[in-house]
Amino acid sequence: MSPRELAVRYGFLVLFAALVIYFALAAPGFVSPQSAVFVFQSVAITGVLALGVTATLVVGGFDLSIGSVATSSMMAAAYAMVVLDQGVFVAVAACLAIGIIVGLINGFLIVYMRVPDLLATLGMMFLLVGLQRIPTEGRSIAAGMTMPDGSVAPGKFSEAFLTLGRHRFDFFTPNLVPVSVVVLIVLAVLIWFFLEYTRFGRMMYAVGSNERAAELAGAPVKAYKIWAYVISGIFASIGGILLAARLGRGDIASGNNLLLDAVAAALIGFAVLGASKPNAFGTAIGALFVGVLLQGLTMMNAPYYTQDFVKGAVLVVALVFTFALSAKAKR
Amino acid sequence: MNITRRTFALLTLGLMGATALGGLPALAADRPAPFDKPESVKIALVRYLSTGDFFQAYLAGVQAQAKALGVDLRVFDSQQDAALQSDMVDQAIALGVQGIIIQHGLTESMKDAAQRAVDAGIKVVAFDVNVENAKIPQIEQSDKDLARLALEQAIKDNGEAWKAGYVYVAGIAPLDRRNETWVEFKKKYSGIDEVAQFGTLDNPIANSVANQARSVLSANPDIKVMFAPYDEFAKGVKIAVDEAGKNKDIKIYSADISTADISAMREKDSAWAATAATNPAVVGQVSVRALAMLLAGEDPGHSVVVPPTLITQKDLIEKDIKNMEELGEKLPQFAHADVAMPAWMPNPNAK
Repeated sequence: MSPRELAVRYGFLVLFAALVIYFALAAPGFVSPQSAVFVFQSVAITGVLALGVTATLVVGGFDLSIGSVATSSMMAAAYAMVVLDQGVFVAVAACLAIGIIVGLINGFLIVYMRVPDLLATLGMMFLLVGLQRIPTEGRSIAAGMTMPDGSVAPGKFSEAFLTLGRHRFDFFTPNLVPVSVVVLIVLAVLIWFFLEYTRFGRMMYAVGSNERAAELAGAPVKAYKIWAYVISGIFASIGGILLAARLGRGDIASGNNLLLDAVAAALIGFAVLGASKPNAFGTAIGALFVGVLLQGLTMMNAPYYTQDFVKGAVLVVALVFTFALSAKAKR
Repeated sequence: MNITRRTFALLTLGLMGATALGGLPALAADRPAPFDKPESVKIALVRYLSTGDFFQAYLAGVQAQAKALGVDLRVFDSQQDAALQSDMVDQAIALGVQGIIIQHGLTESMKDAAQRAVDAGIKVVAFDVNVENAKIPQIEQSDKDLARLALEQAIKDNGEAWKAGYVYVAGIAPLDRRNETWVEFKKKYSGIDEVAQFGTLDNPIANSVANQARSVLSANPDIKVMFAPYDEFAKGVKIAVDEAGKNKDIKIYSADISTADISAMREKDSAWAATAATNPAVVGQVSVRALAMLLAGEDPGHSVVVPPTLITQKDLIEKDIKNMEELGEKLPQFAHADVAMPAWMPNPNAK
């Protein structure tokens, strides 16, 4: 393997390792099981969203609505429990239903209405940001809130639901790993296996690399594309469930930061192992990379704008790895 | 601005209800002109910011006081369009209003418009926007007092020497003003040691701040006090403190309040010890009252400050306050401020 190939293949992982070593030396308390879990926990929600958007990137699409799907399902969960006084099952089902429905609509708009993916999902994003505010007339949802008609909401967040955000499994030390981290890891393994090793996943890559060829080969291209958006919607709504369980209330939010962080993670993932294409393993590493970076910088008291700056710099470097270096290596 | 205040719409609904049920206020004829014939008085509220709980509650307060006075209120909402807001002042002038409340906006775009209104003989007050005009009273909520109340409580609870974590994002006007007080306190009490400063406005704010606070807590396990002078920050810090299992070792002091904040503060062994807040509905009422005083030929003063209220965990638990309505009922100083309140002024909060 030539040095360039080595650089393309392992450069990003080396960078990642160097970063961890640097913070371990510079920030006291960075190396500990707790600290590692914090990193996972802080990227769990954006990580789940990023894995979802990876599915749409694989079929050559894009999903801008994931952030608002997540916040909408957070509001739906809060609404179901606080206002409608339902239990954990209804709340989770409502969230997943939102993810599936939005995914189907996105897919329908893109495949059958021929709206370009960015535009269709952009529209959906705005629609959801507005929609999530309609039931409560723009108020955030918390137990004991007053409804627009003056009555007091009867329900509260069910304990079982909050467990999703607050329970910790014993792992080496007691009460270490939060549910959200387990969800992230399970979903990452699932989507990785699905995309890399199942026929369905390989066909999605085929659709993404050459839609016409895939169609001529007899693949139901339209179905694959719609499925990709449904996967993305479901993952985003799971992210919303985790968010609601952590916050313990329904917060009016556009979710744009969730979207941007998730997309950044997925794009950084292109560079991991020189893949030069969307891949679940890379996305997970990308999310962790951003998490480690933010954790370390915060521990060193870096102000928030330097964190955005560094995040942007990492993304640019990753994209250079992906596009410039690997393209030359292939020639 | 719209990120710094919380849900008061709830309280305001209650206030409006109370007004509606509260029977007739003192007879209009006892009041100075022009409020002896209030139906002939037309005032305008020209808004720059309107989305969000804070602004809804502010509007409700303006409406409640206008109704108590019996005057005709017109609301112009520019939805963050600075040029449109300036045009709306001209529209209000053309409409023949006697008084205008300018609510937020940019000094550059509103200064001239405000001057035109004053030149047309219209009385003007401004809330949270400096229009650089000696004839226009400024309605303010005192961010410095908010921070001071919370920090004084922190000193009272924890003594004069502790390690502190501080949540701050520079460049947001109210947070900057609160920061000035924090800087003064650190100077005054040399025992306060700020070991970490963090903060972000990434949406959802509580979630992003929680992630940061987790890192800060593991880097600085000896922090005793977290000063988070905005309730979304405080919520995030509380999540992190709970997740780290340090809720008995750390106390959180903040500013602003909402129903969700109240329930977070009331939780068993909650780290959130106290918050200081101004009620936006009261700020709305004070805006109308200051304008009414001008119209009646009285002087509300150039700077009309609405004082904040300190709300401690102990208050909430002892008085069994569970939401914003009960807060207004059981802490009366929160529901009403005795500012711009001459004897003839009807009180929209009177039962």
